[in-house]
Amino acid sequence: MVFDMEFALKSLPKIIAGIPMSLLISVFAILAGLVIGFLVTLCRMYKVPVLNRLAIIYVSFIRGTPLLVQIYVIYYALPMVADWAGMKLGLPISSADLPPLAFALTAFTIYSGAYLSETIRAALSAVDPGQMEAGYSVGLTTWQTFRRIVIPQAFVVALPSIGNNFLGLIKGTSLAFTVMVIEVMSNAKIAAADGYRYMESYVDAAIVYWLLCIVFERLFAWLEKRSGRYRSKSA
Amino acid sequence: MGITFNPEYIVKVFPKLLEALPLTLLIVILSLAFGLLLALLLAAAKLGSSRILRILATWYISFIRGTPPLVQLFLVFYGLPQVLKGIGIDINSWDKVVFAIITFSLNGAAFLSEIMRSAYQAVDRGQQEAAFSVGMTPFQAFRRVMLPQAFAIALPNLGNSAISLLKETSLAFTIGVVDVMGRAQVISIRSNGVNQLELFIAVALLYWALCFIIEKAVALLERAFKKGHKGVAG
Repeated sequence: MVFDMEFALKSLPKIIAGIPMSLLISVFAILAGLVIGFLVTLCRMYKVPVLNRLAIIYVSFIRGTPLLVQIYVIYYALPMVADWAGMKLGLPISSADLPPLAFALTAFTIYSGAYLSETIRAALSAVDPGQMEAGYSVGLTTWQTFRRIVIPQAFVVALPSIGNNFLGLIKGTSLAFTVMVIEVMSNAKIAAADGYRYMESYVDAAIVYWLLCIVFERLFAWLEKRSGRYRSKSA
Repeated sequence: MGITFNPEYIVKVFPKLLEALPLTLLIVILSLAFGLLLALLLAAAKLGSSRILRILATWYISFIRGTPPLVQLFLVFYGLPQVLKGIGIDINSWDKVVFAIITFSLNGAAFLSEIMRSAYQAVDRGQQEAAFSVGMTPFQAFRRVMLPQAFAIALPNLGNSAISLLKETSLAFTIGVVDVMGRAQVISIRSNGVNQLELFIAVALLYWALCFIIEKAVALLERAFKKGHKGVAG
């Protein structure tokens, strides 16, 4: 058997059609993950009783287990949570209403939240504590100082790492087929099974992921250069 | 689906999962070993003087880092027999585990080579010159002076790579390998939808424990290697 170029080209559009779903999951997970990561970091920075310990266990658990296993855990845990909320709390939800996307979004958000919390912690500790004091000294509240002084600086430090996390998520979405979400990898599997042409479909998928990663790598490099502009001015 | 949760099942299923642990560890250890060898060649290619080798290594690393390990696994599993058949070699009878080990070696090598390269470059050039000045050959200088120091620098990153590799091997069940995750899938199918959450929590706890052990082992090694190493200032 040789490589069937015609099949590879013919199934490429089908596989490309999965890109929006892969990006939707990645973008949602990175944004929601940033919020979770920030909250986790706050719990750890201010040593909030109980929550601090929980945060440590959460981050260690997510970093110490395969994403695939986490997806399975969510796949079986989420319906239980939904039924429990429906029966005990009287909320209008049940496990039957959960769309496949709900599992994927939950799993990938919990996953990225843990990794991003480490990124955020490192970035916040890279900002000089004097910046906080400077904010107070001109009469800003803690939250204002965070929002206007600390976060913009920490963001620049965190950007490369956020970029890596995003690329990791794009590649991670290839696992979403396990919860029946149709993205790039699922489409490649379908195309492969339809035409009995496995290698051709997966070469297509590899090229799609590779190009996506290169595009976003460039985008983050550009963002980094842009957001770091103030540095060269002050130096 | 009910809302009952049986923590006892997690304890009950654990021994069954442990039976598959040797295979998971075998895949990790062999992939790490082959990965390190291939990584050495890649790092040498990237640091070497041949332009073609440098470009090839760069492309290889970019491809591995830019595509999901799952896609790489399928490419090796479905693609390699097809390619080798074209030149007259039949590998359809090979065990599925072999394909998993090939994939994770190829995958690990790209990440490991970058770690090796940056560690080697982090060792002060003066060390090499010092080794030459006492009459060592380039190979002696590499083995006795550069390598031990580069290894100490690379160690934390090597530990992280070993952990990633361990987690990635959970993908091997998709081609039918019965490692820890594969075993869980078999149990899952046979259990008619009962205790599924408990089963996968048990799987997660097992991987978590393994990662914890690797982390501690690397920390111990790190301490051993830092012994006797003091910077100029202290």
